[in-house]
Amino acid sequence: MLLCGLHAAAQDSIANSIKEKVKEKTQVSGMLGISYEGYGLDRNPNGWTGYLPRRPWNQVRFNFTPNFKFSKNFSMPVNFNFAAFPTNFAGPYSGIKNQNFGQYVTNPVNNFGINPKYKWAELQLGTQYLKYSDLSTGDIGIFGAGFDLRPKTLRFKFFNGISQQAVNFFSGLPPTQGAYKRRNWMAQLGLEKEGSYLFAFNFSKGKDVSSSVTTPPATIKPQEGFVMSVVSDVYVGKWYVKLEGAQSTFTKDLTTPLSPIVRSLKPFIDAHTSTVTDYAAQAAIGRRSPKFDIGIMAKYLGAGYQTTGYPYQQPDRFDYTLNTRLNLWKNKMNIVASGGQRVNNVSNTALKARQFIGNLNWFTQFSDAFSLNVNYNNFGFQSASGINPYGIKNVSNDFGVNPTFTFSNTKMSHMISLGYNFSLYDERDVVTGLTTSNKTHMALLTYVPVYFTRDISPDFSILYFYNRVPTPLITTKLFTLSSGLSMPAAKKKMQLRGQLQYTIGKLNSFSNNNNFIASCNVDYKLTKKLTWTTFLSTNKYKYGNEINPSGANYLESTCRSGFQYRFDTKKN
Amino acid sequence: MKNLLLFIGFCFATLGTNAQLRINLVVSSTPPSTLTEWANKREVLTLIVTLAGATGGSPDVKIKTEIKTLDGTVIGTTDLVKARSFRFQPGNTILTAAEVLPLEHMIFSGKYRNALDKTGKLPADNYTICVQLVLPPDFRPVTEPQCKNFYLANTQLPVLMKPYDGEILDGKIAQTAITFRWTPVIPRLKEPTTYRIQVFEILQNQTPLQALRANQPLLDKEVKGMTQYIWQPQLSFLPEAGDAQVETPEMKWRNNNTMRSNRGENSKTDSSGTDSVNLKWRNNNTMRSNRGDNLSVNPDPVVPVKRFTWTIQSLDPLGNPVNQTDGNGESRSEPLQFSIQPVKNTPANKEKPKDRPLKGIKDTIKTQV
Repeated sequence: MLLCGLHAAAQDSIANSIKEKVKEKTQVSGMLGISYEGYGLDRNPNGWTGYLPRRPWNQVRFNFTPNFKFSKNFSMPVNFNFAAFPTNFAGPYSGIKNQNFGQYVTNPVNNFGINPKYKWAELQLGTQYLKYSDLSTGDIGIFGAGFDLRPKTLRFKFFNGISQQAVNFFSGLPPTQGAYKRRNWMAQLGLEKEGSYLFAFNFSKGKDVSSSVTTPPATIKPQEGFVMSVVSDVYVGKWYVKLEGAQSTFTKDLTTPLSPIVRSLKPFIDAHTSTVTDYAAQAAIGRRSPKFDIGIMAKYLGAGYQTTGYPYQQPDRFDYTLNTRLNLWKNKMNIVASGGQRVNNVSNTALKARQFIGNLNWFTQFSDAFSLNVNYNNFGFQSASGINPYGIKNVSNDFGVNPTFTFSNTKMSHMISLGYNFSLYDERDVVTGLTTSNKTHMALLTYVPVYFTRDISPDFSILYFYNRVPTPLITTKLFTLSSGLSMPAAKKKMQLRGQLQYTIGKLNSFSNNNNFIASCNVDYKLTKKLTWTTFLSTNKYKYGNEINPSGANYLESTCRSGFQYRFDTKKN
Repeated sequence: MKNLLLFIGFCFATLGTNAQLRINLVVSSTPPSTLTEWANKREVLTLIVTLAGATGGSPDVKIKTEIKTLDGTVIGTTDLVKARSFRFQPGNTILTAAEVLPLEHMIFSGKYRNALDKTGKLPADNYTICVQLVLPPDFRPVTEPQCKNFYLANTQLPVLMKPYDGEILDGKIAQTAITFRWTPVIPRLKEPTTYRIQVFEILQNQTPLQALRANQPLLDKEVKGMTQYIWQPQLSFLPEAGDAQVETPEMKWRNNNTMRSNRGENSKTDSSGTDSVNLKWRNNNTMRSNRGDNLSVNPDPVVPVKRFTWTIQSLDPLGNPVNQTDGNGESRSEPLQFSIQPVKNTPANKEKPKDRPLKGIKDTIKTQV
């Protein structure tokens, strides 16, 4: 039925496209670009390696993102973004230097996606980031092929591909973490009326190919996971209700023996001794309006809820939050607040931990000349600490106040902004039970003159930062002066921005360290469609005597330059 | 008569075996909470079987393993009928958890079975494991049971606290210092945990996870035992053409409240429910995805920002991830995103105050420094 449907859609598409070609010329719009980034690091004295490079020495990036519009109903967006060199430091490709073709196209640094679409039928080819729902398919990219069909209210989606290629583990230099080749597929079947309801079943599976590597990764085993979820959204007037329930069956280690004791989910997954099955759910209900919003959201992830789509998801928790927003006083006052709790270890396989969350942001525009913003954030964390006599208790409180004054005459206006933030971070020692208070003060004064008749836009600021950790005693003081300037040039074809910043830092009683940063960027419109962008930055840092060798310093520089060509045949 | 002779022979064999087979059990006091992981590390559980004073091998024996709570209640035991038989040769034979605790042949009771099915772990508690060799078919003991106590508690990775998820930091402040805070690893390890903090810039066209898995980190720092780090970025946050557009707190709240994941992404998808990265172009030339990762489908009001994602990797004293084969194998905490609003010295501020409508938070974001 599906194939027939696709075939019919394709035939329909071809026939229609031929007809419409006569009527309408194909339109292409999008961007084509190339950029180069160079990085330099000069460390002194020679041989000192206390500061490590943080950008690739050289990198070239390409982007080509046209949208071919063949007719009113037939379009084909293309999304090609790729880089010349791999720079993976985390995840399956971590440390990889020499890639084969398969690894190159599936490396997360590269995207090669094409999505031809005709009316309600869309083909998905190449790299796709598909998120059918919050609890199912995940946030990883998959290279493969699939479709997304939406005839009337029916939703039918399927995608099959590879989310990671095999990478052999290598412990030498540079080390590679290694990864198994992982195949994924996903499907959705449902009904949807936009703005009214959505009801859908989602299925997602990922499986590692155990034999895909010759030297297996040291810290991860081949895995297999299957998730099915049902999602339901309803919108009635200003109200909305969103629900999702899901079950995951996940094998943590495919090399463990098959187990008749553990429940399988055939034909999708055969149970091994390391297979676990658990559940997750989330719900949100709320009301939205221009002046007042309120909503409650709750989310539960069972301890064994694991998916191949969300590799960094932390399970075994229950979150709930209440969020509200108020617009008062003819929208001159705006209050955004939220409060909630997160409970870890619902399953009791770990120590119970509670996290309290509270946020408030209160802004008031008293007049054209004066506005005030106040914010307060609280994060608390509490847990038993196993065999230690005292439990863990960390509480973070942040308070900020930010008045802004603006006054002007006929030629210019002046904006003066003050900002003060106080942060208190209490941490209990699990052995002695003593609580240490880590305090941070930060004050910022900014002055921005705005000339109505001149093109230059400068700004000036002074910042003071102080942090004190009592045990062991660490005090950090930072004092920063900075100034920026922005102006057009070359008959407004060029936009220049520059900034200078000088910071003096002091750690405990050590001598001062000094930091100077100069940066600028230039956007030059060569033609209506072609833009040349350049960014240059240099960073000089000299340590005090807090490290060995005393007086160590480095000079770091970044240069980024690229061309972006914007095309649109419609405007021609 | 024949049966009697067989019985006498069996008794001698049994006595002989009793005299010859000895076992010594070594168990880590804090083994991994996931029972299938025990087999991956030899140091977790070792059973040394010694066959002395015999020229041939031992008779076929089976390993009877019991896991008990501290009050002696047996919560798991080997299904001896299905368990594998062993024939030991003279000398020492070393067995690991794969043979001693064969989970495919272990029968757990009640809530413990339930916990294992759901999580692969037993509830956090103190337990005793007892092992002895038995002789089929009637499973008479051949050795004395050897018992060892251990404590199980799943290691929980840090939860990232500050900057909180989706926080928009001011460029002027962020250029000088950004404070990172996170919760400690639970339970506390004997040796202080090393926390490796990493910050990745999310480049144009990238999703947060893509950035984490594809880019070189701008910050990659290890701190030992502490749950705070003050970073002096030494970066320039001048506005650039490729800066992303994110929602002001007002719009962010709306989307978050509509449906929000804890992965730092607004899970609001486009009306189709599918959010393939069909990257869409907006009038401001900024590439935006419709995945909802900090980018709203409904675009206004938005502010230009530089986006970052950060995470903590928890390492043991040897520099290995604390949860080696559990989860993602990297022991990286769930990443959060934060944005830095570039320093504003652009002509965007060049509006005469009287011409400037009061738009509440939208203007605040533009003028607030």
